[in-house]
Amino acid sequence: MAVRRPAQEPASRSADERLLVQAAQSDPAKFEALYELHFERVYYFLARRVQDRATAEDLTSEVFHKALANLATYEWRGAPFSAWLFRIAANALADQYKRVSREQLSSDNAQDLDEHPDLSSPDWEVIDYHARLFRLVDHLPAVQRQVIRERFVEQRSIREIADRLKKTEGAIKQLQFRALQTLRAQMEGGHA
Amino acid sequence: MPKGSPGVELDRAVDAMLVALQPEPETNLSPALAQLMPIARALRDLPRPDFKAALKSDLQRRTTMNEGTAPAPESSRTAHFRRPNFPNIAPYFLVKGAPQFVDFLVAAFEGTERIRVPRPDGSIMHAEVAIGNSVIELGDANEQYPSRPMTTHLYVPDADATYARALEVGATPVHAPTDEHPSGDRWGEAKDPFGNTWYIATRKGWVAGPEGVLTVQPYLHLRNAHDMIPFAEAALGAHATGVHKSPDGIVRHATIEIAGATFEIDEAQGKAQPTQSYLHVYVPDTDAVYAQAVSAGATGVNPPQNAPYGDRAAAIQDPFGNTWFLATYLGPSQT
Repeated sequence: MAVRRPAQEPASRSADERLLVQAAQSDPAKFEALYELHFERVYYFLARRVQDRATAEDLTSEVFHKALANLATYEWRGAPFSAWLFRIAANALADQYKRVSREQLSSDNAQDLDEHPDLSSPDWEVIDYHARLFRLVDHLPAVQRQVIRERFVEQRSIREIADRLKKTEGAIKQLQFRALQTLRAQMEGGHA
Repeated sequence: MPKGSPGVELDRAVDAMLVALQPEPETNLSPALAQLMPIARALRDLPRPDFKAALKSDLQRRTTMNEGTAPAPESSRTAHFRRPNFPNIAPYFLVKGAPQFVDFLVAAFEGTERIRVPRPDGSIMHAEVAIGNSVIELGDANEQYPSRPMTTHLYVPDADATYARALEVGATPVHAPTDEHPSGDRWGEAKDPFGNTWYIATRKGWVAGPEGVLTVQPYLHLRNAHDMIPFAEAALGAHATGVHKSPDGIVRHATIEIAGATFEIDEAQGKAQPTQSYLHVYVPDTDAVYAQAVSAGATGVNPPQNAPYGDRAAAIQDPFGNTWFLATYLGPSQT
């Protein structure tokens, strides 16, 4: 995957976001739109930086709950909502690192976990690439989607998936192959 | 050069990648397959759809209940969408003579009455009867929801004993349990005094308890049953497992899972003609499922609202005429 590292978020997204934030500040029930816009991005940002899925889920939950609880305090002064949200995520991650650090110190395996420069400057292009890919999985044909989730999320073996879906192992491998082909074609084609 | 079909070769690399924490470059893959590996690597971080739905539901509840500034819960994994002790898709029986129907369920299927909401005239507005590890709901039929005979698959430890008990308390025999059923189960059929059909089965390798098969599974005989599968997937976030079709594409049997619970379908034939069932299913996000169901061809019956018994509840009718009561449990504080 060839990925460049832009310094700033796209301006068009900031403009859209501003409207969504204003709507959610007026009516918290509209926070859902911000959640849908950012869930995959926040989740990926965190999942890449922790050791396991359960921690990623806990931190993602913490980030969105904090964002919802503090939405009224957010003010649009040039810094986009994304930056604010990812600051919450970075803080949650830093706290998590400190917890891990304390545990490691107590077990004579101490490492210096104070410096995490990538937390302050998220790589938006990498994040968006993954968020877009994750959303495309939702649009795969149902059986391909099921195979992808069983294989990559649940990390089940081909044999297990074949048993669960009452198909042959060869058929599951072929479905996985087709799904990855479809996803690659759509990512190359730039479909959202 | 790699040997075998592209699917096999690709999976070998995927398998190595999933096992290894720091995968080596896939040097043996053809260029065409190697191009797919960045996608495969990226998918290792694919979020669980259930988690996304549960967190969304939790956030919505906080906004709906005006709890936006309350402390965040320790973990989203505490966000349960399913009412406790409600593991299955519950058939919701609307009958004439609900009190007598409760008696029948208790006597025939060793049910346990756990909720009864009576009306002043002694009829039942709502009741729940636990059977095995599952639950059945019922009430007296009314103008809005008239009585409809339904079909239910019961998986019990001893089909013969259950079948005999059902006949003793008024059921009509259709087939005594035999081992000849195509499923391989010990399988019988009876009709209750209220017109409902019960398939009474004992699975081979029976496992008792909640970790085993769900005791109660609604069974829908459908005309053009194959159309139910894409509808349920699109409308209810379902996925079909164990689809058995005839060579000409007729669905002989399929099990369809929605949010961890299941119902069964097949193509209507012979005496097993289509009925229009009432079904109660817990989903992670009632509002989202209601919206996607309507866009997938369902008819909205009741839009989502917070029910006084602590569920976010809605109702739709599917294109086959079945009524689905959708629900997301709002937690013990709302009950």
